Amino acid sequence: MMVIKLATKEQIELTVNGQFYEVVVKTTESLLDVLRNQLGLTGAKKGCNVGECGACTVIIDGMAVRSCLVLAVTANGKSITTIEGLAEGGDLHPLQEAFLQYGATQCGFCTPGFILSAKALLDENPSPSDEEIKRAIEGNLCRCTGYTSIIEAIRAVAGSSKKK
Amino acid sequence: MKFEYIETTSVDEAVSLLGRYEGKAKLMAGGTDLIVQMRKRAIKPEYIIYIGKIKGLDYISYEDKKGLRLGALTTIRALEKSDEVHMRYAMISQVASQMASVGVRNIGTLGGNLCNASPSADMAPGLIGLSALAKIVGPGGNRQILLEKFFTGPGTTVLDKGELLVELEVPLISSRTGATYLKHGMRGNIDLAMVGVAAVITLEEDMDTVREARIVLGAVAPTPVRARQAEAVLKGKKITEEDIEEAGHMASKEARPITDVRAIAEYRREMVHVFTKHAIREALKRAKSV
Amino acid sequence: MKEYSVIGRPIPQVDSVSKITGRVKYVNDFVIPGMLHGKILGSPYAHARIMRIDTTKAEQLPGVRAVVTARDFPMVKFGIPGLEDELAFATDKVRRYGEAVAAVAAIDEATAEEALDLIDVEYKELPVVLDVEEAMKPEAPKVHEHAKNNIGFEVHHHIGNVEQAFKESDYIREDRFETPMALGASLGPRCSIADYDPISNQMTLYTDDVRPHLQLLGLARILGISEKKLRVIRPIVAGSFGNKGLIYEVCLPAAFLSMKCGQPVRIERTREEEFVHTRSVQPVVTYFKTGVKKDGTLVAMECRHLGNSGAYLAMGPRAVLINVGVFDVLFRCPNVKFDGYVIYTNTIPCGALRGISNRALNFGQQCHLDMLARDLGMDVVDFFLKNARQKGDITSARWKLDSCGIKECIQEATKASGWKEKRGRLPATRGIGFAAAGHCAGSRYGSDLSTALVEVDDLGSVRVISGRADAGQGSGTMITMCVAEELGLDVEDITINEITDTWFVPWEPGNYASRGTIQQGNAALSAARDVKHQLFKVVAKKLGTTPNQLEAGNKHIFIKGSPDKNVSFLSAVKEYRDSGKQMPLVGRGYYDPPTEDLDRNTGEGNFSIAYGFSIQIAEVEVDIETGKVTVLKVIAAHDCGKVINPLILNGQSEGSISMAIGTALFEEISYSEEGKVLQTSYADYRLPSVWQETESDTIWVESIDPHGPYGAKGITEVIAIPATAAIANAVYDAIGVRIKKTPLLPWKILHGLKEKNRV
Repeated sequence: MMVIKLATKEQIELTVNGQFYEVVVKTTESLLDVLRNQLGLTGAKKGCNVGECGACTVIIDGMAVRSCLVLAVTANGKSITTIEGLAEGGDLHPLQEAFLQYGATQCGFCTPGFILSAKALLDENPSPSDEEIKRAIEGNLCRCTGYTSIIEAIRAVAGSSKKK
Repeated sequence: MKFEYIETTSVDEAVSLLGRYEGKAKLMAGGTDLIVQMRKRAIKPEYIIYIGKIKGLDYISYEDKKGLRLGALTTIRALEKSDEVHMRYAMISQVASQMASVGVRNIGTLGGNLCNASPSADMAPGLIGLSALAKIVGPGGNRQILLEKFFTGPGTTVLDKGELLVELEVPLISSRTGATYLKHGMRGNIDLAMVGVAAVITLEEDMDTVREARIVLGAVAPTPVRARQAEAVLKGKKITEEDIEEAGHMASKEARPITDVRAIAEYRREMVHVFTKHAIREALKRAKSV
Repeated sequence: MKEYSVIGRPIPQVDSVSKITGRVKYVNDFVIPGMLHGKILGSPYAHARIMRIDTTKAEQLPGVRAVVTARDFPMVKFGIPGLEDELAFATDKVRRYGEAVAAVAAIDEATAEEALDLIDVEYKELPVVLDVEEAMKPEAPKVHEHAKNNIGFEVHHHIGNVEQAFKESDYIREDRFETPMALGASLGPRCSIADYDPISNQMTLYTDDVRPHLQLLGLARILGISEKKLRVIRPIVAGSFGNKGLIYEVCLPAAFLSMKCGQPVRIERTREEEFVHTRSVQPVVTYFKTGVKKDGTLVAMECRHLGNSGAYLAMGPRAVLINVGVFDVLFRCPNVKFDGYVIYTNTIPCGALRGISNRALNFGQQCHLDMLARDLGMDVVDFFLKNARQKGDITSARWKLDSCGIKECIQEATKASGWKEKRGRLPATRGIGFAAAGHCAGSRYGSDLSTALVEVDDLGSVRVISGRADAGQGSGTMITMCVAEELGLDVEDITINEITDTWFVPWEPGNYASRGTIQQGNAALSAARDVKHQLFKVVAKKLGTTPNQLEAGNKHIFIKGSPDKNVSFLSAVKEYRDSGKQMPLVGRGYYDPPTEDLDRNTGEGNFSIAYGFSIQIAEVEVDIETGKVTVLKVIAAHDCGKVINPLILNGQSEGSISMAIGTALFEEISYSEEGKVLQTSYADYRLPSVWQETESDTIWVESIDPHGPYGAKGITEVIAIPATAAIANAVYDAIGVRIKKTPLLPWKILHGLKEKNRV
């Protein structure tokens, strides 16, 4: 006999930036909203809320994902990295350092999404080509920089000296 | 967004839930299309049945005699990265790599992309070109149909009440088959296709005469469509540039494009011509290379 | 030339660390206890009479705390002073799709959204007019009763005798161009939180407006709250590009809702709402007629400029007034005629995009002159050099060019791009194109007074307090660098307020019209000098010299020429304190440039203290099968006066070029026949993606402006303008097809090729 439990709220477990959380979420809520509104992790940004800008990108189980397109309830049990989890022990992550030095952030709203997309790439492929860098961030929009400095920053961390 | 959320862990349960909430429920896998449509208030389902936790629907399996089987919950990203797919069905990983962005491909699923039935979806033309079969489970048991017959209109499919798509089966490909999918987006892959063309060409043993040709068009009709007249131009021929030109011309006549915010109809029709030609040339090249 | 220790160094922006760590808080991230969420009900019609509004059902929905319409408060008109034509909520009729009719505040967004559906509005549809030339016809629907032929504003600037000059010209060319609305489309959607306290009648507004102090004045008038009781708090702004200045569509409904229920109300636009409502550069139709002598000398220039102001005047008049001066800012020409019309239609009201509406005029003019030079058989670069303005020129609109690097920019850009070698010699389907732009580099909009404070506490900490509204362009960093240079300190020694709070920060109009560098830079510099002089007096006594013999550098104050006779900055502060002077040590600074407002009838007036210039050369490849244009390379030479921070400037340049590529190739807001905005997502309104990132080479020409801090001028607008026309000119060079309406979509290119082959 099938039991249907119609829940408008549900308790889920998340590991975010190494911290364990038990959160009660509305079943209609996105992971992005839960990160921002319940966990206070506002580094993930709501730029479009329909997966077209990349500003809400977080890393779930090693993969870059649009957190606005994930219902929080379906992320139960997952391990998540947000921009707040990158700097360890007071040191900036190399990508953060590079974004700083190359001027790859201006208004900054897209920056966390770019850094996390780049991190997911480099974790999987430490020395990507320019083509691979572009593919990893092609879904992230930036209006301020024209992308050049962002590519340069990622390339610098990738240690690839290749010019396009 | 307002809906009741139901999570299910088995296909049977999903079928029964679909029956119970007939017309009021939508299945959700990756959610990358569904959530967007709900946010834009294009659809307002009362129930969301989440099938992402169903075990055993996320697989890529290849057998020498049967071909490729893809579970409906396989992510687009998995198709893109699978060595098996890349080696034997390069076009499928090529299509996957051209869809949306990594952040979407990581959660979006094959089944979701097909069932969403967007006229411009990239997965369908290539798989139709490869004669893929859709395996459907429903209250009356299982059935299998050609993917080509799966789509009935924008956002609609042959799925009957209580039915869900569980698997795609892609037959074996001859070593003399070449396949490609070309997508024409304004800025590149992140754009929805203004035109998509898949070409699958199998040669006779002479490595010159076309035994079979399939041309499938995306984004230029309410559903993905085969350009049968274009295919007929090629079949049985040792293809010349004139034939390719003629096939491109036929395909553009077979397309039924509309004008929308992404492109005007006339342009789409012209691009069917252009990309059909390119796709044929590329498929031929691939067929001839060993 | 004087050597600087801070100026000219590539220093990361002072607020970058908070941005790369995700710690920065935009207004979108703010949470005020008790905060409600607001939603705005927009009209489903572009033009309709409102017959009835019934909000009863919405008010009864559990969770709803307030519903407001025009009935709830006295509606005060706002807009251009003297020509106010807009209300917070429509009363009798709606004039564009999405115009605010009502707003709801509820415990969460979903409830507020549900409540919107319960508001019952009865409309009577009226005929719609969208096109500017249609709107000017006598039989066109009237958008506003008072505006004959829908003309809302006009300006006429006539210098010399154009008619006579055309008779005397050897050659005359005429063209018509059209540009649509294009958006800043910055990633951060607009958001405001209004927090009204009914007991004290006090309003606190958290805003993303780049003109917080001016916004305060405007809101006080519209809301009927004393200026003293209004407080505007502006956190770091998530991109603006002109789209976030003095636009009340989000903050006003939030404020009225908060006034009605006495609780804080937050309204954040969805991305779809951003596309439906954002006010940006208006659609413009331009007609050019230019007369020249055989040798290319300009004799007469005429322009008929039809600006589509949308449903309300908004920035429309301002845009056309500025374009009067833009028209001949690049060229010397004795006879000039500019007739500008601002036309009402049922579309989004006019705003500004990096240069207000300059890019619309510039696209037409730069394409027109490219063709004119070709007609004459002249290299367009020679044509420009022949007619270019020079330092010391006063334009026909009285713009005073106290610095002007046009010729140097042309020389540098043509050299770096290989113009002479490439022009006409690139392979088929590849082309190279040239364009130039000039724009104000710090202009006034009413009051132009900027002020700042530099405060030094008794620990020696230096704090700058400035009312700027940095939206990513780096004005805070620029100010910090100026202060550091002046005080002989490092950037790290200085902090600058991140948030502008009008209760604690002295008057500052804000960041628009490229005025950050000169106005805000000078104000901060003057405050730093005030501090320095106060310290110098004390140090002079100690070192046994006079203040004018002292210099600050290397964190010390020392006697000019004798750096070993010094006192450290820290000791100087202690000395100051111990000498019985009052702490904190405060430097007060202001800058109020000797400029004038633009004449409302003629557009004339030296309204900017300086003018910036940019020359850009684009190389493109056209796929003649698909009509796709690829920008291969853009060479840019900008006259920035003086480079304060090359890292920031290069970033600005690359971003500007990217934006101009978007305007050239993809971006437009268009409407259905009924007047609905068609582009409502980033999927449909296509910004350049990483695949459009282009090779660019930026050259900075330092013309050293006599008014700017260290000679610098504001550049964020002018550098974003010419690439669009340069790309169109390059496309012509490549395939001989002239597209006169942006964007250069592939089907227009293919259509042009077919037309060309038919001829």
